[in-house]
Amino acid sequence: MIGLAVRSLRFRATAFTATFVSIVLGTALMGSFATLLETASGPVSGNDEETLITMGAVVGSWGTMIVLFSLASTLSVAVRQRDVEIALLRTIGATPRQTRRMIRAETVAVAVAGSALGAAIGWLGGRALLAMLRHADMVAGSVEYAGGPASLATTAVVIVLVSSAAAGVAGRRATSGPATMALADSSSGTQRLRWWRVLGAVVLIGYGLAMAVITITVTADSDDPYDAMASSGSSSILVGVGLALLAPVLLRWLSASLRPFVGSTSVAGHLAAFNTSRRAHLLGAVLGPVIVFTASTIGILMLVGVDGRTMSGPVANDFKSINLLNNVVVGMISVFAAIMVVNAFAAVVSQRRVELARLRLLGATPEQVRGSVVAEAGIVAGIGVGLGFLAALATVVPFALARDEGVIPDGQLWLPPLLAAAAVAITLGAAASAVRRATAEPPLALAGGTE
Amino acid sequence: MTPTPALSVHELTRVYGSASAAVHALNAVDLSFEAGTFTALMGPSGSGKSTFLNCAAGLEAPTSGRVLIAGQDVTNWSESRRTQLRREQIGIVFQGFHLMPYLTAEQNVGLPRRLAGGRPERALVRDLLARVGLGDRATHLPAQLSGGQQQRVAIARALVNEPTVVLADEPTGALDSTNARAVLALLRHSVDALGQTIVMVTHDPVAAAYADAVVFLVDGRAAGRMENPTADAVAGQMAHLDELVLTGAAS
Repeated sequence: MIGLAVRSLRFRATAFTATFVSIVLGTALMGSFATLLETASGPVSGNDEETLITMGAVVGSWGTMIVLFSLASTLSVAVRQRDVEIALLRTIGATPRQTRRMIRAETVAVAVAGSALGAAIGWLGGRALLAMLRHADMVAGSVEYAGGPASLATTAVVIVLVSSAAAGVAGRRATSGPATMALADSSSGTQRLRWWRVLGAVVLIGYGLAMAVITITVTADSDDPYDAMASSGSSSILVGVGLALLAPVLLRWLSASLRPFVGSTSVAGHLAAFNTSRRAHLLGAVLGPVIVFTASTIGILMLVGVDGRTMSGPVANDFKSINLLNNVVVGMISVFAAIMVVNAFAAVVSQRRVELARLRLLGATPEQVRGSVVAEAGIVAGIGVGLGFLAALATVVPFALARDEGVIPDGQLWLPPLLAAAAVAITLGAAASAVRRATAEPPLALAGGTE
Repeated sequence: MTPTPALSVHELTRVYGSASAAVHALNAVDLSFEAGTFTALMGPSGSGKSTFLNCAAGLEAPTSGRVLIAGQDVTNWSESRRTQLRREQIGIVFQGFHLMPYLTAEQNVGLPRRLAGGRPERALVRDLLARVGLGDRATHLPAQLSGGQQQRVAIARALVNEPTVVLADEPTGALDSTNARAVLALLRHSVDALGQTIVMVTHDPVAAAYADAVVFLVDGRAAGRMENPTADAVAGQMAHLDELVLTGAAS
């Protein structure tokens, strides 16, 4: 099966691109922050050590959460893409165990290559981060970059292990049940969420909300004004990732309720409204990153804004750099989330190539096919932005209260609509480019095994 | 003056590859299918049946020759005009059903109407579903239907725009014999009761016996025709196709 895995990889290098890209970026993001921890263990002062560890561990862990989440969802789409092929292997006698081993071997091979490249990028990224910290006088200018094998190799190993585990989960789903079932064209249906996703969502959302409550009730009155930021800063990301874990279910419910409005607009809207709700497990992989993108950007940028307005005087100067870093974190997370959206859409659309060709056979114009996929993206973006905004409130409201601005912050109210528009634009753009590639060729011939 | 055939092809030729490796999938085929008839197209693998259907449906451009739908020459139409042709004048029934997995039976049947920019009339869709024996399954998703039921939905879908011609590609190829009989009876019914024109590619002599006539294709050429076929006669003819080719060449 290992030999088969290698050949399968070589044969379809492009199919693994999505997985590869998310592994490279994930390793680079996590690795950059991990090097700060290694630097902290070098010859630095106590204060610098604390700053570096805070940055590396606290900020790095938000990033890690997002990276791991998106990695798992990319892998599950990548494996589902191959349902028919996997079923075929099983009908010719591959045991579920062999099949899972093949999927895992492929993924690990991609993960090893991707995380090696990602670690190299992380080495540079870590340098850039440290340079920024020095420039902002958060650490002494004498602090030497010490990122190396310990932090970067650990990150790479963690990424490989997580990829392998995620491939295991995805493989188990692909090989459970009789082989012939998978060959049937029944990819509608409502898959139930795995228990660990529900548990993870409850824990993350609960933790995020608890931190929000603690911000209002405890840290708001603390002597150090930055305690409130520390307690509320990550709430939006926590709640956002929590909601993203529930994405398939949320998409099913919410898009079903949008159906009367969208479904009657045009044939594209009609198709999109039913596809998003009846096959929510597919587009859920896109909805997740949209929620995370919206939640983290709105949450953290509004937090920075409130902080900028409410802190002034000499104390503020000391902490100005914290906000610089907050912005860096937002930048990295949003770039990552945006790439995940593009990635996930490419995977979903390529999985539906046959089905889209089928629409063409029935007489749909290429514009109608593209229109239906873009309309789906519109529904997903709308729902994602709405949920992401709700998640962002978990940071914005407590922090604004803690800084005495009231439930609604005093300024920068243009930020949420702007970021929401960016999220919608990214999603629609991702859909349009993915479907343009899928409809570039004339429809498949009607006869002779179009599946 | 004979009435205009629903579908006719003249000197239809389709060549794959080039020069020494050229394969004539269709070699100067002349065929015409009168309105309101049910014709089976038979021949061994590689005889050009599928290429014929693809060319007739405007999915594949012929190398030379002409395709006429209801007397209109559609051979050199642009992709967008051919798309319009497919949804307004041609109904296609596939071997693999090809229903949209996220639409109900009713919505699948109405889909070609929507693609044409209209609204499917509920009564028409329900009537078609009732005709194919699925009046009580209108709100089921394809995954909740058996293979035979899915194919009957697909036939209702092919009929919804009252096409000039229905092209069926091995419509019973994926069905058991009971369901296959039901599907064939349904196709027969749509010719007799609704005046449809059907061209069906099949391997199965029993399926061919439901048609008014059988056309045999061999090596990309029309090699013979049998009126009022019976399963036995068709099976017998299929076993001696080489003789058809010889007599065809002699005449």
